[in-house]
Amino acid sequence: MRLSKSAYLAVITLTLIIYYLVCGIYLNGLGYYNHESLFYIEKAKIVFEGVGNRLKVMGLTSPMIPFYATFAFSGISSTLAPVLASALGTGLLFYIIAGTLVKRLNDDFYIWLLLGLFLFHPGMLYAACSGKNIYLVLTFFYLFFLNLFKFFRSNTTFHVSVASICLVILIFCDYKFVWITLFFLPLVLSITLHSLNLGEQESIFRLFLSFNSPSLRRKLLNKTFSLYIILFALPLASILCYKLLNLTHASDLNYFNESPYATWNVLIDKLSFDQQTTNINYKIPELSLLLSARVLLFCPMILIAVYLFRESTYQVLTILIPFAFIEFLHIKYDKVFLAYQYYLIFIMLAFLCVIFKSHTVKNKQAFKVLLGVTMVLQIGIGWYYLKTSSIPEEQNFVNILINRTEDDTEKDNMAVAGYISSLAGDVHVLADDATAYPVIAFTKNLNNLILPYQPQFLSGLETPDKYADYILIATAKNPVTGYTQLNNKYLITIKQSIPDIGFRKVYETDNWILYRVVK
Amino acid sequence: MTMSIPELLVNDGFITEGDREKITKYSTESGLSFIKIALNFGYISRKNYERSLLNAGYVIEEIREQPYDSEILAKTDLNFAHDRVALPLRVQNGKIVVIMADPGDELFLDFIKFTYDMEASIILASDLDIIWLSNVLIGEKYNKSAVYELLKRDPDSSAIVTFSSAQLVFIFVVLGLVTVGLVLSFKNTTIIINVLISTFFLIAIIFKLFLALVGSRFELHQAVTKEELKLVEDEDLPIYTILLPVYKEDRLVKKLIWNLQSIDYPRHKLDIKLLIEEEDDKTLNAVRNLDFPAIFEVIVVPYHMPKTKPKACNYGLHFARGEYLTIYDAEDIPDTDQLKKVVSLFGKLPSNYICVQSALNYFNRNENFLTRMFTLEYSYWFDYMLPGLDTLDIPIPLGGTSNHFKLDPLIELGAWDPFNVTEDADLGVRAYAKGYKIAIINSTTYEEANNEPFNWIRQRSRWIKGYMQTFLVHMRNPVALWKEIGWKGFLGFNFFIGATPITFLVYPIMLGFFICYVVFDLSSIRTLFPDWVLFMAIFNLMVGNILMIYINMIAVFKRRYYELILFAIANPIYWLMHSVAAYKGLYQLIVKPFYWEKTNHGLSKVNNPVNVVK
Repeated sequence: MRLSKSAYLAVITLTLIIYYLVCGIYLNGLGYYNHESLFYIEKAKIVFEGVGNRLKVMGLTSPMIPFYATFAFSGISSTLAPVLASALGTGLLFYIIAGTLVKRLNDDFYIWLLLGLFLFHPGMLYAACSGKNIYLVLTFFYLFFLNLFKFFRSNTTFHVSVASICLVILIFCDYKFVWITLFFLPLVLSITLHSLNLGEQESIFRLFLSFNSPSLRRKLLNKTFSLYIILFALPLASILCYKLLNLTHASDLNYFNESPYATWNVLIDKLSFDQQTTNINYKIPELSLLLSARVLLFCPMILIAVYLFRESTYQVLTILIPFAFIEFLHIKYDKVFLAYQYYLIFIMLAFLCVIFKSHTVKNKQAFKVLLGVTMVLQIGIGWYYLKTSSIPEEQNFVNILINRTEDDTEKDNMAVAGYISSLAGDVHVLADDATAYPVIAFTKNLNNLILPYQPQFLSGLETPDKYADYILIATAKNPVTGYTQLNNKYLITIKQSIPDIGFRKVYETDNWILYRVVK
Repeated sequence: MTMSIPELLVNDGFITEGDREKITKYSTESGLSFIKIALNFGYISRKNYERSLLNAGYVIEEIREQPYDSEILAKTDLNFAHDRVALPLRVQNGKIVVIMADPGDELFLDFIKFTYDMEASIILASDLDIIWLSNVLIGEKYNKSAVYELLKRDPDSSAIVTFSSAQLVFIFVVLGLVTVGLVLSFKNTTIIINVLISTFFLIAIIFKLFLALVGSRFELHQAVTKEELKLVEDEDLPIYTILLPVYKEDRLVKKLIWNLQSIDYPRHKLDIKLLIEEEDDKTLNAVRNLDFPAIFEVIVVPYHMPKTKPKACNYGLHFARGEYLTIYDAEDIPDTDQLKKVVSLFGKLPSNYICVQSALNYFNRNENFLTRMFTLEYSYWFDYMLPGLDTLDIPIPLGGTSNHFKLDPLIELGAWDPFNVTEDADLGVRAYAKGYKIAIINSTTYEEANNEPFNWIRQRSRWIKGYMQTFLVHMRNPVALWKEIGWKGFLGFNFFIGATPITFLVYPIMLGFFICYVVFDLSSIRTLFPDWVLFMAIFNLMVGNILMIYINMIAVFKRRYYELILFAIANPIYWLMHSVAAYKGLYQLIVKPFYWEKTNHGLSKVNNPVNVVK
C-alpha cells in the first residue's frame, strides 16, 4: 500500500520532531539555556505553582503566544517545556511549508531541499532546540506572506483577512513586527493600483491615470483605504486592547513591552546596549547598509526570489519589505544586535517565493542545481553567522552543539536555586525576578519565595525583618545588578531605615549572595 | 355581440393575431382559460379588457354581495374556478347563476350543463372580483389546510405551543436555582453566572468568526458558472412558481411588475402568484387599476388566524403548478438569471437537496445610517455565514425570500409553519432534521433595506421572536434533535439560532455593567467581577466587538462596498437596537407569540434599477 502524500509528510515530520527532541533534550542535559526560555520557565512556574496575583502574570507576560505555547508542556517538565514546544513547533512549521509545496509542485526535489534546510541549517536547529520563540515567528511570518501571495493571485478577502490574523499572531509572538506594518503603507497603494482595471500596464502611468480621473481616484482611494483597514484593523485594534489591558491591570500602557517583569528582552536589550557602548572593540558588521548586504550573503536565495517575481513591481516590493523592516529595527533599537531570527525570516520568504514561482522556470534542471548550490551555501553561511554572532547566547548554542561540552553559564544560578530549594518549607526568601528569573526557574518550591507579582513584595522590600527570612541580592559583579533594587545598595539603605536589622551571608556565588535576615 | 372575446380583443387591437394563437395554444396545453392567460401572462391590461367589453356592450357587475348557495358552490373545485375565472353561485329561475370573466368560455359552460343539468345565467364580472369571491366562498378547505396541515402531520414541529411543559419546568427550575443561589451566596452565584455568560459569548463569537472564515474561503466558488448557464435551454425549463405574499403593498405593485418582467425565464413557464389577504382591498385595487399588462395571477387568501406570511404561502401552495417554487417580497429585485441558475444547480445537485438559497442584499444601501448597517449585516450573513454553514453541513436558517424549493419535498415536509414568525429559519432546520440539504447559490436578490428606526425594530423584533420560537420548537426534545442533525448540526443550531436572541438580550446588561464600572468607577462591581472574571469579561467585550466588526468589514470588502467599511465600527450601537428589538420580541413571545409585526415596504426614495446580469 502506498502512503498518501500527507501521510508521507506526517511521517517525515514526526521523524524530524524526534530528531529535534533528541538534540534539544541532549543540549538541555548539557545545561544549555537562554534568557528567553528561562523567563518562560519562571513565569510558567509562577502561574502553576505561585500564590498571589497570578492572573496578571498570565495575562501580561510578553510575548504572549510563545509563553502560552510553553504552558502546554509544563506538565511534562517545567525546565524542558520551552524546548519541547519549540521542537514540536519547528516540526509543524516543516509540515506547513511542505504541505504548501506538495500542493503546488509535483517534484520531490523541493521536499528534499526543504528537509535539508530543516535538518542541517543551524538556524532551524536553533529554532527547534533552543526553546526560544523563533519557531513561532517563522511560522506566522511564513503564513502571513503565504496568504499575501495567495491574495495577490486570487484577490479574495479570505486570504487578506487570514493574512491579517497571522500578522496579529506574529505581533504577539514578537512585538517588534508591529513595525513591519509601516512598510506596507506604500505597498497597499501599489496593490490597489494594480487591481484597477486599466489598459495601461506601467505602474507610474496607472497612477497618473487614476489620479486624473475623479471616479478612478475615488475608487483608488476607497479601495486602498479599505485594504488598509482589512489588513491592519485587527493588529492595531488588538494592540490597543492589549495596551488597555496593561493599563487597567498594571497602570502602564506599555507594561508588556517595557517592564522587565513582563518581558525578557528589556533586560537583555539594556545589557546589549551597555555592552556596545562600553565595548572598546567596535563591531563593524551591523552598520546600516551592510545589514542588508549581510542578509543577502546569509540568504542568497532571496535574489532568486526577486528574479522570479521580476515582472510584478508590487510583488517585488513585498519581498523587499523585510529588508526595510530590519533596517528600521536597526535604527529604532540602536545598539542592540539583530537576533538570528530576523535573518531566518528571509530564508522562509525566499523558499515561499520559490514554491510560488518555480513552475515558471523553463530550464528546471539548471534551476534545481542553482537552488541546491544556494541551499548548501546558505547552510554553510548560516553556521558561520551563528558561530560569529554578536549575541553571546547564539554563539554559546553553536559552541555547545558542536563541542558537546557542558554549558556552565547557568551553573551559578542553579547552585543558588539548589540552596534555596534546600531551605525549610516555612521560610520566606525575598527575590526580584526582574533579574533573578534564571534562579527562580530552577527553584523547586515557589511557595518559599516572595516575588514582585505578590502583594507582600513591597512590604517585604520596606520591612524585610517582618516579612522575609532570606534576601537574594545581586553581587556587584553580576551584570544585571543595576537593574534590580535587591543589590548591595539595598542592604545599606535598609540598614539606615531599620537600624536593628542585620544580614548574615549564608550562600554566595559570583553573581548572587543569599543573606539571612537577622531580626 | 356574437363576436367571441378573443376576436373582440384582436378587433380592438389590444392583442395581435399572433398573440391570440399563442394564448389559445397555451390554453389548450395548460387547461387555463383564454382570458386567464390573456390577463395574467402580460398580454392585455385589465383596463383595456374592461374597455373592450364595455365598447362591445357588455355590462360588468359588482358581485361581492351576490347571494350564493353552498350546495351549488360545493360542486366546484377552487382550482377549476381559478383556471376558468368563473364560479357558479346559485339557482335562479331554473338556471345556474354563474359569474364569469369571459362569457364565451365554452368549457366552463359545458361544465355547468353537465354538473347541474341546467343552463347558465351569466353575470359578467371583473376577474379579480371572481377570484376574490371564489377564494372567500370555496377556499375554506384550503385555508384550514394552510393553517393546520403541519400541526396534523407533525405536531412536534408546530409552534402552536410556544413553551412545552418540560421547557417551562426547566425554565422555572433554573430560575428557582438562581434565586436560591443568590439568596444563599449572592457573590458566588453572580460570579458563576458571569463566567457562564462570558464563556458563552466567547464561544459564540469564535464560532461566528470561524464560520465567516470558512464561508469567505469559498467566495470565488461559483455554484453555477456562466458556461453552465449558457447550456440551459428554454424548452427544457420546468414550470416555476413564484409566490408573492403581500399585505397593503399598493405602492409597490407597479415596481413589482417591472421587476418580474425583467426575469429571464420563458413567460409561459412562470407561474407567478400574488397572494393578497381577503380584506386587503388596497392592494387588490392597485392591481385592478394597473394600466399595463400584469404577469401574475392573483390569489386571495381568506381570513383566518393567524394572519401570517407562512399561512398565505401555504394557501398559495395549493394552487402552485411549478416543479420548483420560490418566494419573493414585493420590493425584491432578483438577479435576472436567478431562476435559470437555480434550475441548473438543482440539475447538478443530488436529489436530497431540496432548497437553494440566494444571497440577499440591499439596493438602497447608501440611503441612511440604518440602511448602511443593514447592508453590512446582510453582506456578512449571506456571503459568509450561510456559505460557512453550508460548507460545514450545519442547518441553514433560510432567508425570508429568494429561497427556491422543489415543490414535492416542500409539501412532504408540511411546508411553512403558520404559527412561526420566522417560518423560513424553521423550515431550514426542519429540512435538515428530515435528512434534506440546502445549497447556496451565487445569485443575489436586492431588497429594500429598512430605513426607518421604528419600522426596523418592528421587523427585527419579529425575526428575533421567530428565532426564539424556532429554538423552542426544535429543542423540545434535544436528544432527538441531536440524533437527527448530528452533533455539528446540534451545536451549530444552538450557537446560531439559540445564541442570537440570548446574545442580544444579555449585551446591554453587560455593556451597562462595563459603562458603570468605567464611567462611574463603581468599585462595588469588582466584588461581582473578581480579577480573573473581569479579565475574561473585558477580553470578551473587546475581542468580541473587534471580531464582529472585522467580520462585517471583510464582508462588505468582498462586495466591493468600500464606502461602507468604516460604518462597521458603529456595530456596537446597531447591536443596541437589536437588543431593543430582542426585548420586544421576548415580550411578544410571551403575550402574543403568533402576532406578525408587519414591515412597511416602499419607504425608500432610492431608485431601484433592475439588476441585469450580463
